Amino acid sequence: MKRTLAMLLSVAMLLGMMAGCAKDAGTQETPAPTPDEETAAVNTVILKEADDKMLNTYTLIAVDPAAPFTDADGNAVTDVTVNTEGADALIHWLLSQEALDLAANYGMEEYGEHLFYVKDDAPVYDGEITAATEETKTIRLSTTTSVNDSGLLDYLLPQFESEYGYTVEVQSAGTGKAIAAAKYGNADLILVHSKSQEEAFVTDGFARVVDGFEAERISFLYNYFVLCGPTEDPAGVKDCASVMDAFAAIAAGKYPFVSRGDNSGTHTKELSLWPEDLGITAEAESFADYTDWYISANAGMGACLVMAEEMGAYILTDKATYLTFYANDGVMD
Amino acid sequence: MGSALEKAIELILSADAEMLNILSVTAKMSLQSSVIALLIGVPIGIWLGTCRFPGRGILLVLNRTLMGLPPVVCGLVFYLLFSGVGPFRHLKLLFTVKIMVMAQVVLITPIVVGNMESYVGSIAPAVRETAKGLGLTRLRTFCLLVNECVYQIFSAYLLAFSRSIAEVGAVSMVGGAIAWKTNVMTTAIMQYTNRGNFSLAIALGIILLSVSLLVNIVLSLLQRRLSQ
Amino acid sequence: MKILPFSKTYDGVTVLDFPGLELQPGTVYGVIGANGSGKSTFAKILAGILPADQKRPALTEKRRVGYLPQKNYAFRMTTRANILLGGKDRHRAAQLMDALQIPHLADKRADRLSGGETARMALARLMMKSFDLVILDEPTAAMDMETTSLAEELILQYVKETGCTLILVTHSLQQARRTADEVLFFRKGQLLEYGPKETVLYHPLQPETRQFLDFYGV
Repeated sequence: MKRTLAMLLSVAMLLGMMAGCAKDAGTQETPAPTPDEETAAVNTVILKEADDKMLNTYTLIAVDPAAPFTDADGNAVTDVTVNTEGADALIHWLLSQEALDLAANYGMEEYGEHLFYVKDDAPVYDGEITAATEETKTIRLSTTTSVNDSGLLDYLLPQFESEYGYTVEVQSAGTGKAIAAAKYGNADLILVHSKSQEEAFVTDGFARVVDGFEAERISFLYNYFVLCGPTEDPAGVKDCASVMDAFAAIAAGKYPFVSRGDNSGTHTKELSLWPEDLGITAEAESFADYTDWYISANAGMGACLVMAEEMGAYILTDKATYLTFYANDGVMD
Repeated sequence: MGSALEKAIELILSADAEMLNILSVTAKMSLQSSVIALLIGVPIGIWLGTCRFPGRGILLVLNRTLMGLPPVVCGLVFYLLFSGVGPFRHLKLLFTVKIMVMAQVVLITPIVVGNMESYVGSIAPAVRETAKGLGLTRLRTFCLLVNECVYQIFSAYLLAFSRSIAEVGAVSMVGGAIAWKTNVMTTAIMQYTNRGNFSLAIALGIILLSVSLLVNIVLSLLQRRLSQ
Repeated sequence: MKILPFSKTYDGVTVLDFPGLELQPGTVYGVIGANGSGKSTFAKILAGILPADQKRPALTEKRRVGYLPQKNYAFRMTTRANILLGGKDRHRAAQLMDALQIPHLADKRADRLSGGETARMALARLMMKSFDLVILDEPTAAMDMETTSLAEELILQYVKETGCTLILVTHSLQQARRTADEVLFFRKGQLLEYGPKETVLYHPLQPETRQFLDFYGV
């Protein structure tokens, strides 16, 4: 009897989900640009981009096996296993001309836009790349969600893996967590985009200089964050001279703004863009007075975009996630 | 742009390699953890349900506490223990299916134990009286009791399996949701949701729900057949 | 065979205090008394299900004791398989089912039987074996009048055939009158009166026994 009920419930849920999707299909099947439709599928559009203040630089750092690792109680741990050969090989390859060209062209096919640009001063590696051995074949790469979500690694890594015999295990989290994973000895290298946190990682002694490079931090790719908001743009950020002015306008008019609030690179960048006198930091108390318009979501980029879309709010996002979001016609409403 | 439902059907029909990998990792993890939990939990549950001994009350309270153990707490403990700096780092188990199964076993076994204990506890006195009244040996009585539990074992398994397949907090922490290796349906759904790729998330959700439904149907059919 | 004196105490309250009794083979002892008088506790201690305060068996000699609990448990198998748990003799099982008019239930799942059917199955199951002492706790409580008389007939025949001692706990005075040789009357955990049925049931010595008989009397 109980089982029958449970089954009925599951069927009902399944049907409900399908019905929800079917209804959704109605709105989704309308092509976005058709002008005679009342509303476009996505109301959140890019309002500000390619501002130097919104520069988003991606950096590779190899983890030092001799770093001052500590366990959860703060006791020193000395024999942490780090696959330095594997990390070196991956970094060497990512900075080979071949990989840099691939990265630079990524996105053109799918979105007709560049999602990443190669830094002019990126060090190019043209030496030997060590092939995998039985001990070094698994490389643990800890990266941020925005890199993983952009699909860049899925696009680049298979080539590296098939050519040199490695398996790259990619874990993704916000930059803060991605770096923490390395500090817990769970990564051989990191690929992140938050300068201040990267520098702290180096200062704390967790980074290592890879053969053939000069510094621990190897910044090689960049793109721009974009400031998105409702098409109506009530704060008029489109006409602002700079992104700093745009953020000031949003704050002055108390227009809703969705913040990642999760210590990710995007969050760190957003914090640097607010007028200083507001005093917004990662601490919850710092924006306690602004809760009527400043929404700290503590969620992934996609989830935050949905929230912004629902609320007609402004949001700072990496372009790749926004484009995926747009391509999927945003939310199911 | 098709609807999520169409996408789900498309995904299943196209037998997308990554999707198949996610399904097989999910199946491997859920089946292994639920079977292990059953093998551990059923004997303990029967033991707790039949025997009276000092300390049994404490064990029951402990088990009830473990039944309510938040999966993220379990995940965190395993993460810290098996981390690169943790005490069990040399086993190199973090971000493998094995450790996901271990965390799941810790989460599910108490449920199996509690489920079996309460059922066995409710029938054991009557079974024991009847068997003793007939002059049956203790071994025979025990076999009869286990035989009485067969259907309950089925539903305990069902519970364990559904818990295991639906769990996300612990497996995402200890498994790391690494593509082609430890990404299961729930963590994949979470990833796609965070990415804003809702139709794919929903598609996976529909598949997950269908798998649950299928398992439910198969097991209830099996149970009905057995009870004839 | 002798029942030694014993008592049973729960949380400092004595629920049963039994002075001991010499048992005769082939005799039916009817145990009567109101609800909560200690009849079932008496049966359970004799059967070895419950330990007495004295922490020793209530019987002087180690004997084969059969016990039919008040609540019968039907295992999840056919009625026939349930009955064969008592003993392997299929012929005997068929005879008992015939006698209790349940042969049509032989292949039916026992845990789906009605209360009266379960009671008959359980009685048949116990009678598959012979014992030195058989304790029946309200074996016919769930049965209708017709099956009750069939069951009583069968019980008496069983005692005659096996020569066992039978302790029959019953709430029915009529049943005690029909079947018992000796009668034990329990009141508030005490064995108030004991003797041949002619005395206890028809000319009781104790005023409480008389009261009880008048109340439930025929």
